[in-house]
Amino acid sequence: MKAVFKARSLLGLSVTIIGAYAFYDSWHWPNKAALFPRLISVPLFLLGLLETSLSLSGAEEQKGGAAVDFEFSTDVDPITARNRTLSLFLWVLGFFALIPLIGFLLAVPLFIFLSLKFQGKEGWLVSILLTACCWLFMEGLFDRLLHIPFAPGWLSFLWSS
Amino acid sequence: MFEALTQGLFVLIQVKVLGLMLVGIFLGFWVGILPGLGGATTLALMLPFIYTMSPVEAFAFLLGMHSVVATTGDITSILFGVPGEATTVAMILDGHAMAKRGEAGRALGAALMSSLIGAVFGALALALSIPVVRPLVLKFGAPELFMLAILGISFVSSLSGEGVRGLLRGVLAGLLGLLLSMIGQDPQEGILRFTFGIPYLWDGLDIVPVLVGLFAIPELVDLAVRGSSMGEQAPQGNLRIGVWDGVRDTFQHFWLVVRCSLIGTFIGIMPGLGGGVAQWISYGMATQSAKDQTERSGFGKGDIRGVLGPGAACNSKEGGALIPTIAFGVPGSSSMSILLAAFFIQGIMPGPDMLGKYLTLTFSMVWVLIIANIITVAASLVFLNHLAKLAYVRASILIPVILFLCFIGAYTANNSMGDLIAFLAFGGVGYLMVSCGWPRAPLVLAFVLGKIAENNFYIATTRYGYSWLHRPIVLFLIVLTLVLFFYPFLRYRKKEIPEKEMAA
Repeated sequence: MKAVFKARSLLGLSVTIIGAYAFYDSWHWPNKAALFPRLISVPLFLLGLLETSLSLSGAEEQKGGAAVDFEFSTDVDPITARNRTLSLFLWVLGFFALIPLIGFLLAVPLFIFLSLKFQGKEGWLVSILLTACCWLFMEGLFDRLLHIPFAPGWLSFLWSS
Repeated sequence: MFEALTQGLFVLIQVKVLGLMLVGIFLGFWVGILPGLGGATTLALMLPFIYTMSPVEAFAFLLGMHSVVATTGDITSILFGVPGEATTVAMILDGHAMAKRGEAGRALGAALMSSLIGAVFGALALALSIPVVRPLVLKFGAPELFMLAILGISFVSSLSGEGVRGLLRGVLAGLLGLLLSMIGQDPQEGILRFTFGIPYLWDGLDIVPVLVGLFAIPELVDLAVRGSSMGEQAPQGNLRIGVWDGVRDTFQHFWLVVRCSLIGTFIGIMPGLGGGVAQWISYGMATQSAKDQTERSGFGKGDIRGVLGPGAACNSKEGGALIPTIAFGVPGSSSMSILLAAFFIQGIMPGPDMLGKYLTLTFSMVWVLIIANIITVAASLVFLNHLAKLAYVRASILIPVILFLCFIGAYTANNSMGDLIAFLAFGGVGYLMVSCGWPRAPLVLAFVLGKIAENNFYIATTRYGYSWLHRPIVLFLIVLTLVLFFYPFLRYRKKEIPEKEMAA
């Protein structure tokens, strides 16, 4: 709970800082370019301050404020939930890092296979079959048919030079 | 007129034309389902194929494909929480929540039926309005478009959470969305705003990576945390019964479906507003149908009305968008600009000829919108059992595949690494917003409308000074904006007072 309060206050504070920065940044712009950003950044800053102070004082406890949006599942032990969230973000970042490194066309099958085999603990057959399907889909539709320009990775540049 | 209407149908049911339309529908079906492919891109890719076709064949093929993209895009949004199309994001909020609750069949049934009604509504609007639409469109200049954008932004109050605190967060999310829409080169002075010297930001943030990140990453986190399938929380039940429940829901809330279809058609007619706006305004309209706070708090957590509204609006806008394209050659969206190119390829000049010389072709388009959607909805309903089972695939299999689709979907927006960075950044923002109970819908609505509002404000001011504020439609829209913004509070306040009196 304390962590959520902390995150809420931090989100409020971030928005306040964004509002302040937007106002500051627009200071030297011509009026036409600055009008809308200023009109937006002033209430963003003031309301952000209000939200931060309310979060710090724990006001949401009394006032509900649930969003018209979905909520994360709460039936999983918080430590497990945190570890799984962290693990997912690491896999996402790993996939992202692979793309410039070895290129999209190689990163996709490698990520899918590693993720299925080691994160998902799937069997060899499922991992290989699904990896092959995704690679075929990617290569066939996006590369061969649509000619989406996928840049080769840095490693292939090094290899060719 | 009636003769042309029947002729329009007869030219369409010729074997070759029908065959080409079916090919188009088949392509559109998959384009809608796959997050990496957009309807406009596919339209552009298919243009070279129409050189050898007759006008009726060409439009049956292209429109058949384009008109079903939003319908099948809803399927991906509901089952995976990843937008199949940028115009089907609002469907995630309640549709995916229902799928997670084990009501995938009901959500799909409602989405498909409301989409069909919306498409038929849009097609009828196209058929009926072409002769009379000219004065309406000409009355809507930049001042009115600016006020329409502000009217759309006023729906932030309906899309926010409960109480004053919920409104505060909703307004903050909306302001943040507006500020994000200001990123890039300012069209008035040519100043680079909030670009931090990064060339990718010069053209502003692209909507696709922003939406995919905002909505897909939090869903994937939730899926990973639960470590089970998306629909594991509830038993699968009989999908067919669920589907019919969804169809029944559509008719139970028929008035809402009609209102949202009207909104979609109207937004489609207005050049420059687009489907991204239609879905959110109709979602806001759906939340306003809640009778009290408790009912309203169910939105975003699986309220069927949150599925029906965007479903109807997204499909009805296609018929609406065709009206200015056909009647004046003014495309209402990027897809319509590409379709306009198809007119020129076929040697047809949109305008008065479409109501005389090419009236049969115009009505054949109306029939394409209707028939293509009927075929798609029927095919989807037949295969729905299999489609909905996807919600029960293990998380360990789904997560890497969905992540791959998200990455490719985000990347294909501009084929740039910047798209992937934007996708990741907004994934983080979406995760934080959901964790902290901030609504994402106001951010998206304001992000979509911010640029439209600013551009039209300056066009209006340059052209009319401040006298545009006295134009009758502008005044009407100002009043409507105020009513729509404060309506939720007034209604809840009215309900709260007697409750307090009863308690006392």
